[in-house]
Amino acid sequence: MGKKTCNVKINGTNCQAEEGINLVEACLQQGIIIPTLCYLKDLNESGACSVCLVEVKGAKTLLRACVTKVRDGMEIYTDTERIRRARKVVVELILANHPKDCLGCEKNQNCDLQRIAYELGIENIRYPKTRQKDFSIDNSSPSIIRDPNKCILCGRCIEVCSKIQEVNAIDFIKRGHAMQVSTFFDGGLGNSECTNCGQCVLVCPTGALAENNSIGEVWRVLDDKEQIVIVQTAPAIRAAIGEAFGFNTGVPTTGKLAASLRRLGFSKIFDTQFAADLTIIEEGSEFLTRLKNNDKIPTITSCSPGWIKFGETFFPGILDNISTCKSPQQMFGAIAKTYYAQKMNIDPRKIKIISVMPCTAKKFEALRPEINSAFSFWKDKLALSKKEYFPDVDYVLTTRELIRMIKEAGIDYANLADEGFDDPLGVSTGAATIFGASGGVMEAALRSAYFYLTGTELKDIELNAVRGLSGIKEASLEIAGKKIKVAVAHGLGNARKLMQQVARGESPYHFIEIMACPGGCIGGGGQPLPVNDEIRKLRIKALYQEDRSLAYRRSHQNPAVIKLYSEFLKKPNGHLSHKLLHTHYHKRQPVKI
Amino acid sequence: MKYSLTKHRPEKIKDRLRIDNIISRHKDTPGELLNILEETQILSKYNYLSPAQLKYIAEKTSYPLSVVYSVTTFYSFFNLKPQGEHCIIVCRGTACHTKGSRRILDYLESVLDFGDEKINEGEKVFLTTKDKVITIKTVACFGQCALAPVVEVDGIIHSRMTVEKMKKVLSALKKKGLK
Ligand code: SF4
Ligand code: SF4
Ligand code: SF4
Ligand code: FES
Repeated sequence: MGKKTCNVKINGTNCQAEEGINLVEACLQQGIIIPTLCYLKDLNESGACSVCLVEVKGAKTLLRACVTKVRDGMEIYTDTERIRRARKVVVELILANHPKDCLGCEKNQNCDLQRIAYELGIENIRYPKTRQKDFSIDNSSPSIIRDPNKCILCGRCIEVCSKIQEVNAIDFIKRGHAMQVSTFFDGGLGNSECTNCGQCVLVCPTGALAENNSIGEVWRVLDDKEQIVIVQTAPAIRAAIGEAFGFNTGVPTTGKLAASLRRLGFSKIFDTQFAADLTIIEEGSEFLTRLKNNDKIPTITSCSPGWIKFGETFFPGILDNISTCKSPQQMFGAIAKTYYAQKMNIDPRKIKIISVMPCTAKKFEALRPEINSAFSFWKDKLALSKKEYFPDVDYVLTTRELIRMIKEAGIDYANLADEGFDDPLGVSTGAATIFGASGGVMEAALRSAYFYLTGTELKDIELNAVRGLSGIKEASLEIAGKKIKVAVAHGLGNARKLMQQVARGESPYHFIEIMACPGGCIGGGGQPLPVNDEIRKLRIKALYQEDRSLAYRRSHQNPAVIKLYSEFLKKPNGHLSHKLLHTHYHKRQPVKI
Repeated sequence: MKYSLTKHRPEKIKDRLRIDNIISRHKDTPGELLNILEETQILSKYNYLSPAQLKYIAEKTSYPLSVVYSVTTFYSFFNLKPQGEHCIIVCRGTACHTKGSRRILDYLESVLDFGDEKINEGEKVFLTTKDKVITIKTVACFGQCALAPVVEVDGIIHSRMTVEKMKKVLSALKKKGLK
């Protein structure tokens, strides 16, 4: 049914708008951008910040555009002296209590508050600071730092965490000047249900939320000439990093990415996609075994550490269904510090693995004690003492952190000649590339499962049913006379729906892919800002385009992975695989208080 | 921000059944969470809500922990620390301050046994004696500035308070909680 349209006048021009939409959207349709700090379309309409003030004829006061609905005959003004003055007052009042240390702020140049203050021409702040005591910074999480002093109480993070992710780790506490966003009993994100997904970081209009930065540590290891510093980059990086260097959204810059990493001084430029192919072999074989024995079905993917912590916290009863495969990041670390070290005759203690991930939760994942296995592999062989312990992955950088490093090093990214990844752990297939998009792991797994079950290659390998941005996607596929039903969910709120089915024993599926972040890794909490559905779609397109351009598009065809099995692992799900590439999960208390 | 885990180690919830009963009476009514929290606090020994109680309530009502904490910190009615049997509230408004409310606080701190806790300059005071007999708090202003300095003892306003008068009030509280 069509909605009624209203005749309205915006800044003197007659136009039409759909009844009931708010004035921010109505003005946007006419090409007028109203400044907003708290408003997030369809998600946050709390009217908390008041920066979106507009004048409506007949109204006594200025109105907040984001919470005012269009009515027939409305006359709206967005650009009068009165509005300009009022918006300035609003932002100055916000800034009165704000630290204003933009120079050292993680969000510098990506900050809505900073941008709007500049656009409104704010020069000095006429109001005194009213907050008496500064808040303490929450650095309890390995993934995310929260600085409540920079928070403008817009509520976006709370809405994303509760409505999209359905984690509810954070909420407003107290009131007046003591009001802030916090976790249960102020225990900090690291002691809460927080899954480290970083979706709150993506929507925060200020530097109150930012990743726990590892740039300093990475420079330090790069400067240490004794170390062999290896980098791996996740599929989603190539689809997005160009945005920070003037490329249009959706233009993959894989060759420049590899070239820039070489300029930064990494000794080997490897690809997490190698490990993604490996994951498909391990996970695919595990799935087929489970399918044969009708055991632990549905099998649920395990690549997304935000999802894993979510499952451990809210669905402890279904942990057996989750694939025991480590994520590609961790498989890479384990293989680089065992197989590659052995093959190249390098002391594993000298290898440092740096991951570039679209994800804040990967920082948490790398610290999980049970996920690290290269040390135990070498422990007896090299008679290592406990003090010499090393993790499989040493440091995790988000895409945003890598962008800062490239800029700091003065590398002219846009004009670099394309280069490739190094052998052998830089070899990958198109199946691995699409891991970065929601549905990609499922598609890649089915491309290989089909081959394993039938001995022939799946011809039509593009599985459109599991692509795209709808929250839960389903498909069924006839393989060797058996109907395989699969489902894909992205965003933890959608994951919750599928998991409730599994917990009740009513899931109709054989295989489920879960990604914590809406859109999959291309929309990860560590990706360049901003992230919205338009941008997600374009980044996804970039990955599918890469997939189509590659010689190998099925993980089981990856020659380097085939070699890894013949030289080292012997067989999928074999003894060594289990030691190095598989892990386990444990039930978690929602909060540690 | 380090949170002391030992300080709030979830005590055994002896009053589990009591909370279950409160929840069953309020479940699915408007304002259920507020009512459940309020009754639980009133029925608990030191008139406060412990982390363990809040966790239990959250689990039983399916409210997220962050929401439960949000509600309990929003309303000043709720206490998240044990309260003494008696409550002394000292006004720290400007008028009371100039008329010597600080001296009264100092006096209270010198005679009451708060263990390791002490009054921190510039922060809201909330201290309970080790024997949980007397709690002292401060407020920003009672709005009774003409009577400064003002102290409220168990809900009764005492005007023009002095250290001498405070001494008498304390001994009237049966000398409990004294050092
Ligand atoms: S949050 Fe924004 S305005 Fe505030 S210090 Fe950081 S960059 Fe500057
Ligand atoms: S990282 Fe994710 S789970 Fe944690 S607070 Fe932010 S949105 Fe919530
Ligand atoms: S942390 Fe950021 S998103 Fe959350 S309320 Fe504060 S400013 Fe808004
Ligand atoms: S954007 Fe409208 S009130 Fe914040």
